[in-house]
Amino acid sequence: MKLRQALIAIPLAASIAWFPSPSPSADYAGTQDRWWGPGETRAWPQRLDYANSQGLVGVLRDGPVLETRGHAFFTSLGPNGRACVTCHQPADGMSLSAATARERWSVTGGRDPLFAAIDGSNCPNLPQEKESSHSLLLGRGLIRVSLPWPPRGEDGKPLDPEFTLEVVRDPTGCNTGAVHGLKSAQPSVSVYRRPRPVANTKYTTHQNFGVLPFIGKNGLPATRDPDNGKPSAMNLMADARAATLKLQAQDAATNHLQMPAALTPAQLGEIVAFEGSLYVAQAASHTAGSLEEAGGPSGLGPDAMRKGEAGVLGNNTTRWVVPMENKWKSLPRTGDVAADARAAARESIQRGHDVYMFRTFWIRDSMHLNSVGLGNPTKRTCSTCHGMHMTGMDTANGWMDIGTTNLPWAKEEPLNPWNSSKPEMPLFKVTCKASVPPHPFLGRVIYTQDPGRALISGRCNDVGTIVMQQLRGLSARAPYFSNGSANTLREVVDFYDRRYAIGYSEQEKQDLVNFLGAL
Amino acid sequence: MKAGPLLLLFAATAQAAQPDPSLRNFVACPIVRDTASVPCWLAEYDGELYFLTLQTDVSAPVNPPWLGHRVLVEGRRSDKPRICGGIPLEPVRLSVIAEPDASCNQLLPAEDRYNLTFEPPRPPGPSAGRLAFNTLPMPTQPAAIKKEPQRYTLDYYFDGMVNFKTPFQLAPVLDMARAMPATRVEIVGYRSAALLSNGKVLQEQPDLARRRAEQVVELLKGAGLTAPQYQVRWVDASPVPNGTDDYRNRKVEITLQP
Repeated sequence: MKLRQALIAIPLAASIAWFPSPSPSADYAGTQDRWWGPGETRAWPQRLDYANSQGLVGVLRDGPVLETRGHAFFTSLGPNGRACVTCHQPADGMSLSAATARERWSVTGGRDPLFAAIDGSNCPNLPQEKESSHSLLLGRGLIRVSLPWPPRGEDGKPLDPEFTLEVVRDPTGCNTGAVHGLKSAQPSVSVYRRPRPVANTKYTTHQNFGVLPFIGKNGLPATRDPDNGKPSAMNLMADARAATLKLQAQDAATNHLQMPAALTPAQLGEIVAFEGSLYVAQAASHTAGSLEEAGGPSGLGPDAMRKGEAGVLGNNTTRWVVPMENKWKSLPRTGDVAADARAAARESIQRGHDVYMFRTFWIRDSMHLNSVGLGNPTKRTCSTCHGMHMTGMDTANGWMDIGTTNLPWAKEEPLNPWNSSKPEMPLFKVTCKASVPPHPFLGRVIYTQDPGRALISGRCNDVGTIVMQQLRGLSARAPYFSNGSANTLREVVDFYDRRYAIGYSEQEKQDLVNFLGAL
Repeated sequence: MKAGPLLLLFAATAQAAQPDPSLRNFVACPIVRDTASVPCWLAEYDGELYFLTLQTDVSAPVNPPWLGHRVLVEGRRSDKPRICGGIPLEPVRLSVIAEPDASCNQLLPAEDRYNLTFEPPRPPGPSAGRLAFNTLPMPTQPAAIKKEPQRYTLDYYFDGMVNFKTPFQLAPVLDMARAMPATRVEIVGYRSAALLSNGKVLQEQPDLARRRAEQVVELLKGAGLTAPQYQVRWVDASPVPNGTDDYRNRKVEITLQP
């Protein structure tokens, strides 16, 4: 508790001076205080700041101090002892880092409700006391998501998917198991995904640009808010299966908290209102200092998220994705070593921003980007896809395939006789039926670690498409991508460099990493 | 929604009258040529290089095709100066052939002699705050509720079903149907054939007219328009193609009855 209070109490600008330099253990302070457990009696202040490997993440609550006792977000609502907060921690930017999962394992001996058999282990039928049974959560921060096969329509009836699904590799045993597998009495598919941040939700649920009755990527009907019939932005969850925060909360209560009954309207109201009050962004950098001091770039820090306009395009030179105003383009040097180092770090962030906005490369064979009017390939920049003002998401219907789960680009280490480590992720073979066109870029047979949106839509073209995530609070919530395949922001940048043959220079890579780490 | 066999269906050489000699209707691999700004899209036919379109953005009236696929080009040779080395086709319609073709993989580097001599509608990076073209009106509520039947036409690419451009055509239909409110929605699906410049005829997939019509019903119902009665029919017999405006029969007609 002392650390947290100290972090809150010390004005941010002043706090920079005493920042420790990065160290291998700095990404997780390891104090009990960082962890907000279910059922605790605590006061959630208007501002929380937590250290991470890059500096501080700021969590701003646009509302009064909240007493957590009895609040639905913080209350264990099912038999497994979990609450929403279990997987949405402020120190982790309202997501959950793998480092935090490891810390909880260490602190509790694996008995924290986080490790509930239902989805906090690789498969519920594994021996739960063994650390190896939770390797995907501990190693990659992944939660098991079990989805019915074949997919269900909105009316609950099975769809006739455009493809067949086979299990090629099943390291967790869940997809071939008699209870949870594809051929069980209730056929289901287990995929493993990172929890997403529950913050900045005015952006993820906006009703602005690109939100139409029909999906801008393929013309099919958009999901709708059952409360008012309005189309949704379809930017929640990795597969956009929940149209609204309410539906997402109910999905999580049922499947992750194992709540036997539906959330009450009052509980739903509490959860959604709380989520809507939170703004997350990196607030300070070990090297660049405060990211939100007066006179600095207007797009950094959690208060910028509170002030920002939701649901508008930022892939332009009028609004920008992250407004920087060139404030850090060229900073004076004073001869003071610390101040000059900070100036250099800030200029690197600005250069990273410029790489993000202006460095072109050939984007090729990416479903729902190259197929929506830009041509294949298209010579564009990061901000083409990551174009929503303030978040860097797609403005709406943001699922694309960049190859994070689909072969040949997904992280897969070729087996060899000298390597004792085995693949961790399941692998599926998707075969598009002869009655539909083949996938335009991957053909009729696709190998994937996670079919993504296709497990909801049943469509061949959606295989491996994942709703892109907001780029805020990244430094607080490694690893990255939906399958946790990038341990660091550098690995993220390296993935793109490899995937699209960009040819970034070392300087460009480092600048991009610094920019992303400052968001 | 099921598609039929997916290979391109060629019929025998057409019996139709010889079309306008300026028409250039052909299937070819597209070619990308980089420039100092946005890339150009080209295609070769009968020993000549033609300019198809530029990379712009989703709002472009002519969207670029895809490497990895052949493209059906339906255009008219213009007398305008070459662009990126190719003779401009104006107007031109491009339909990506669904079946992948790995041999279509030509990306040419930028050369000074092929750089654009004009400012492209938008640069390859961020825009100046607007879409390149003003051809995608955002759907709005109809200005006035109509009391007479309202007719709409959805356009399709060759062999295509709904796509990324459909929302902008279909959303006004939905708005009007609700505002009216429509008691009956009449939907007629069509399919076409395309007369190529070499005299061959390219047929759209059999049964496509039905699938197009039925998909539109699903879309409108899926968007919540469940109250009206739906009357669905299709005309699967494609008219004899003339090579001039064959695209006009790749359509679904929608009539809203109050």
